[in-house]
Order: sequence, then C-alpha cells, then structure tokens
Amino acid sequence: MKATKKQQFIKTIDEHKKIIYKIVNSYCPNKNDRKDLEQEIIIQLWNSFDNYNSDYKYSTWMYRIALNVAISFYRKEKKRLVKSDFYNEESIFIIEEDTNNELTELDYHLKLLQEFIHNLNELNKALMLLYLEEKSYEEIAEILGITKTNVATKISRIKLKLKKEFQKI
Amino acid sequence: MEAGDLKKILETYDTKLNEKLSLNVTSLKSINLDKAEKNTQSILIYRIAEIVVFSLLTMFIGNYIGSNWNQTHLAISGIIVGVFTLIALSGSIGQVVLLQQIDFAKPIVDIRKKIELVNSHSLLFLKLMFLSAPIWWSYVVVGSDYLFNIDLYNNMDANFVLKYLMVNSLLIIPMVWFLNKLTYKNLNVKWIRKTIGFFVGTKTMKALEFLNDIEEFER
Repeated sequence: MKATKKQQFIKTIDEHKKIIYKIVNSYCPNKNDRKDLEQEIIIQLWNSFDNYNSDYKYSTWMYRIALNVAISFYRKEKKRLVKSDFYNEESIFIIEEDTNNELTELDYHLKLLQEFIHNLNELNKALMLLYLEEKSYEEIAEILGITKTNVATKISRIKLKLKKEFQKI
Repeated sequence: MEAGDLKKILETYDTKLNEKLSLNVTSLKSINLDKAEKNTQSILIYRIAEIVVFSLLTMFIGNYIGSNWNQTHLAISGIIVGVFTLIALSGSIGQVVLLQQIDFAKPIVDIRKKIELVNSHSLLFLKLMFLSAPIWWSYVVVGSDYLFNIDLYNNMDANFVLKYLMVNSLLIIPMVWFLNKLTYKNLNVKWIRKTIGFFVGTKTMKALEFLNDIEEFER
C-alpha cells in the first residue's frame, strides 16, 4: 500500500518536475543551496500528499506548496544547516549542460528575464512565475489568495517594468 | 519587449526543459520521507511551553488573589499582574491556533501572513513590557510579599502612594497611544521603526517588514 503511494507520488513529481525546477531556480540564486530547497519542497509535497484536495488541479496544489516552501526558504537567514545526509544529489536536473558557450539572442533574453525575476520581491516573483506559465488570472488568484482584479493590475505593472528593462538593451 | 517576444523566449526555455530535464528516481526514492517533520513543529513546542508557564502563573496569581482578598492593595496588585499574565497566555494560545492553521497547500498570501504573525510574536511581549510601565509597582508589591513576606504598601507614606498612583495613572493614556503606534503598519515612521528595531530581534523585524509587504501586495 505504502509502496503504491510512493510510486504515485514519484509519478506526480515526474509529471510536474518543471514546476519544481523553475521555482527552485527562481528563489535560489545560489546553486549550492538548490538541492536543499528541492528537498524541502519534495518533503512538504509528500507531507501534504494525503490531504490533496481534488477540487483543485494537481498543478495548483503543487504551486501553492512549492511557492510557500520557496518563500520560507528564501526568507530564512543565510546560515542554513544541511538537514540530512541521505540527500546529496538534486533529484531534478538538466541531463547535460550546454557546452556551447556562444549565447544566442534568445538565450541572452532568457538570462535577462531570469535576472529580472530574481530581482522581484518574494510575492511578485511568485506572481510573475505563474504569469509566465500562462496560468489564467483566476488560477493565479486562487494560488496566491488575492483577487483577480488585483492579479491583473499587478501583472500589467510588472510587464511595464519588464518592457522598460528590455528597452535598456 | 512585446508579449510575442516573451512567449518566444519562454517557448524556447520550455522546449529545452522538456528535452533535458530529468528526474533521478533513485535519489528521490532514497529520501526518507517518513522521517520528515513539519517545519512548524519546533515553534509549536516553544509556544506550548509558553502556554504551560503562563497557565501555571495564572493559577498561582489566582491563588494569590484568593488568599489576599481581604487586603485590598494586595488583591488589586494581584489582579493587575493576573490581567497581564492572561494577555500573555491568550497571545500564546493564539499562536498555537495560528500554527495549527498553517497548511502550505492553502493560498500563499494567507499562509505567509500566518507565518509572519507567528514570527513577530515577540512584539506582543514588547508591548506588554511597555504597558507594564505605569503599573510596575504591582509586580514589586506581589513579588516582595510572596518572596520576602514584606508588605511594601504598609511601609509607605499614604501621600506618597497617592501621588505615585496619580502620576502613573496619567502615564496610561500616552502609553496606550504609543502602543497603538507600535505596529508593522507604522514601520515607515522612523522613530517607530527604530524603537521596534531596538527592542526586538532581526527575525521579528523582518517578519514585520514582510507583513507590511503582504499588505501592500494585497492592495
């Protein structure tokens, strides 16, 4: 029974690994800390797995948990303790890093976009990530717990800021 | 940057991730998930310990008031100390309730608020400390009577006590005004920020600042 639950959990993580990867990368600029954040997210997801409310999509549930953990992690003081010795590798990883050092224009823009997201505060960062995932305003509002109108206003403000940032190039 | 450009960037990124992102199932399986503890567990233990301490103090004060009911000054001092103990006790109970409500699967803003209210708990003690200023004599009267069996009130000049009570009563109004100001909503006011920053630690200050950010975000 337990093995089935774990298998189902692993399957869910596999299907939504992109969510975890993107959140970890956005909230954790320090590459060495990423595996710790990833671990915390996975543990929290496991803790909440039994209480998953099927009224919501898996991705909504996952975003809420992963973002809540990431914000807590981000807000913790720098001195983080390595909590375990059983988890030394990242579970979600890029198979092979690009060895080609030449950046295409798209890569360069992607880097700028990631930098822009890094510089947003914790809550706006969450909003921006959800917007970039093309979530509907309704779903963003549901994940964040603010009104749809508020989501729309904030996104238009951030987009304006982003536009200005890219015009500097 | 137009919406179309943004979409193009993201599509490229997504394609790259779809192609190259992999899950290390062995590593994931090796995580001892069953040993995982809730992050809030240690804070919960502290708050429960607070509840135990304040409950014991409340019982002690209740007993003290009952035993000294015939001596008005001791009973009043006891009641004042008791009220403060009850405020502290209800604050700690409120914290446990908040901690029980923290569920990371709930909307982010709501959960963040609860977490930061837990993290800024020491502000309550700061407020109680300031609020105690006009009535600090109650603690001294109760303490000296209980610990050393010395009734300070009986050894004081009646005129002095009267003047003292008047001056301290007058202090209550500015103190209440001051305490109302000591909130995260007023962190933009320099002297309030400095006062809070001086008495509470960085963790509390950060929590208060974030509560302010959350409120801003909700607007």
